[in-house]
Amino acid sequence: MSPRLIMKLDVAEVRRVPGDVILATLTHPRRPLLPAATAGAHVDVHLGDGRVRHYSLWGDPADRGAYRIAVKREAEGRGGSRRLHEMLVPGASLMVSAPRNHFELPETNGPVRLLAGGIGITPLLAMAQALAASGRSFRLHVFARRRATAPLLEEAQRLLGPGRVGAHLDDEPDTRVALPALLAAPEPGAVLACCGPAGFMAAVRDAAAHWPEEALLFEAFQPLAGESFVPEPFEIVLASGRRLAVPADRSALDVLREAGVAPPASCEIGVCGSCLCGYRGGTPIHRDVVLSPRARRERFAPCVSRAVGTLHLDLGDAGRAVEPEAPRP
Amino acid sequence: MTWAGTLLHIHVAPSASVEMEELAEARLIPGRGIEGDRYLLGTGTYSRKPDIREVTLIEMEVLEALAQGEPRIPGLKAVLDPADHRRNLTTRGVPLGHLVGRRFRVGDVVLRGGRMNFPCQYLEELLGVPGLYEGLLNRSGLNCAIEAGGVIRRGDPILPLAD
Repeated sequence: MSPRLIMKLDVAEVRRVPGDVILATLTHPRRPLLPAATAGAHVDVHLGDGRVRHYSLWGDPADRGAYRIAVKREAEGRGGSRRLHEMLVPGASLMVSAPRNHFELPETNGPVRLLAGGIGITPLLAMAQALAASGRSFRLHVFARRRATAPLLEEAQRLLGPGRVGAHLDDEPDTRVALPALLAAPEPGAVLACCGPAGFMAAVRDAAAHWPEEALLFEAFQPLAGESFVPEPFEIVLASGRRLAVPADRSALDVLREAGVAPPASCEIGVCGSCLCGYRGGTPIHRDVVLSPRARRERFAPCVSRAVGTLHLDLGDAGRAVEPEAPRP
Repeated sequence: MTWAGTLLHIHVAPSASVEMEELAEARLIPGRGIEGDRYLLGTGTYSRKPDIREVTLIEMEVLEALAQGEPRIPGLKAVLDPADHRRNLTTRGVPLGHLVGRRFRVGDVVLRGGRMNFPCQYLEELLGVPGLYEGLLNRSGLNCAIEAGGVIRRGDPILPLAD
């Protein structure tokens, strides 16, 4: 995973919107243009206490003057959004990484359905603006409890025009739609991108079970729920032949870190992709939400994923950043 | 060797990957590094690989050559801003390639050339400038030790010292 520049950005504008959400506009104090983002990208926000959280960008990717994030205060969360709500005041500074995208639309010509559950609208609103600019056919479906607390719904309608946004609200029965009916008939070449709470995405996945797998794109903010997963100890073998034991109560990343060979890491819950490394053999138990089924054949997320027995890891890429300034192979 | 150069820019970063910040002046601590910089704090990309890296320098002339795309082999033409190259000091008129093992003065501070800097893939990926690695080969600057500390300022003269 390539390193990303971390910048001290200005909190240029803060707007509290219904749903306990803050819309923040981040700009660079000296550079008029920020590193480019593609639609669906997120940035890492450093909370100043060692914790890092990622937030999808919802602004038009063509606007390189600012990053726009939407932060929903999750009272029951791990505390990151609560801290960020305190930090997001106009004039404050925030350490923010250059964007990275794990949720990129395939470049086909087919029509695009964007399905947003709650705050999951953020990356989809960026996609919708990029699609509108490219003239590709799309429709953004926003699912929320109430219009008044649907994050970014108003912005979406303003930016895209009401004809391209469908609002499906629990308390407005006329607007509700059954997912199986909505997704019954995919047009040829159609793509479906979905982001929202785990339950919402599971329902969409079920309703789109008859769609081709490559037409489906899901972004998760939460790691996969491992309700019944019981971690077992396993063993890592490095390319050097060195063997490391991973006890049941520790992550592979922890063990690699202790051994001084850890790749860079960020979220440590299997969603950001910072610590991804390769493996050459063994039976991994993938518990991340970043890797595609194809990528899982050769990549591994040591922060959350485990293995049965012995896993042969290849830290080649990840280890490079700590090597001396050596020429490329 | 007779030459006389100038210190154009001073940059530090608190840790790996964090954007460099320009300073008008900086305090150099002998045997350690620049106050506020990652290689004094032990938070740099290469901090775990001990080496002479208390202060790094690069020539403005190299950045100008890159901007012109000269020489044409390896052919990179790119604007590399002094805030972006991640060396601490940007100089003009200083023959960095001749200063390995030599002592020289930056303002009141005395540096000793340790080894030629070697470009890294990390920087190319961090900045997203394809070809930067090749573009900096053999002109990537100088890594130095601090023999006599003190405060340096933008515009300070850089002068050779007798060994």
